[in-house]
Amino acid sequence: MDSHIRKVYVPMTETGFYILLCLREEAHGYSIVRKTEQLTNGEIKISPGTLYGSLSKMEKDGLIRFVREEDKRKIYHITELGSQVLDLEMKRIERLYKSMMEVK
Amino acid sequence: MKDTKTELKFFSVPEWKKEEKYLREQHKNGWEFVNVSGFGLYHFKKCQPRDVVYQLDYNPDSVSNKAEYVQMFSDCGWEYLQNFVGYSYFRKDASEVGDNEEIFCDDESRLDMMKRVFTGRMIPLLAIFFCIIIPQMISQNLIDYPANRILGIVFCCMFVLYLGMFISFAVSYWNYYKSIHR
Repeated sequence: MDSHIRKVYVPMTETGFYILLCLREEAHGYSIVRKTEQLTNGEIKISPGTLYGSLSKMEKDGLIRFVREEDKRKIYHITELGSQVLDLEMKRIERLYKSMMEVK
Repeated sequence: MKDTKTELKFFSVPEWKKEEKYLREQHKNGWEFVNVSGFGLYHFKKCQPRDVVYQLDYNPDSVSNKAEYVQMFSDCGWEYLQNFVGYSYFRKDASEVGDNEEIFCDDESRLDMMKRVFTGRMIPLLAIFFCIIIPQMISQNLIDYPANRILGIVFCCMFVLYLGMFISFAVSYWNYYKSIHR
């Protein structure tokens, strides 16, 4: 993983995190929005402008790849690099959570 | 009474928030936005006054993937209206818009849009400024033929005009940057 990827994606935005999390299975943009809403009980609502920008950026950086198109909706899937970034981020969040519980 | 109206309105490059407000106000007053053309001619048609939220996105990438781009916004409830000099226009009824809902949900993506506007709209202007206006202004004012005086003055005026535009963009960018890094 090169320094550019680290700099841009570690740590990443909440939106970025949920996109990668959802794309461990093949999915299109709007299904990411719905799944994120379900996971967070409606607390996080990803907006289309943010989603579209993030997906193009992540595809360009090789974190996700375009699989196929269905009814004018692009379906994406996470790549090996994307999984590595997501792993790093999960470890970081686990560490945060552990520290939080320790001092609580 | 007329059922349509056209207003000439000029918004400079970084003023899309102001433009969104303007369109929302018009709809509240019973004028539904139809389209914008030419040098800022806004066309409206009469409608029931309603609160409708208007939003602008600037994304050159959307031109080649228009169908998917429009589909994603419409899945999220935003009606696509048109593209005008790189800006895409969307609207959604205020009653369907959630708390603080916008087409961008985090500050990073708001700044990303600002950067896209800078690359798409300001860099060409900067290129004209440095490659044409400044060299011409200098050379036309140094050559001592009376015929060049007028050209010299024209390029001086353009220099001031462009400089004003860059300063206004820098100020807007700075205010915008500050407002989302409160």
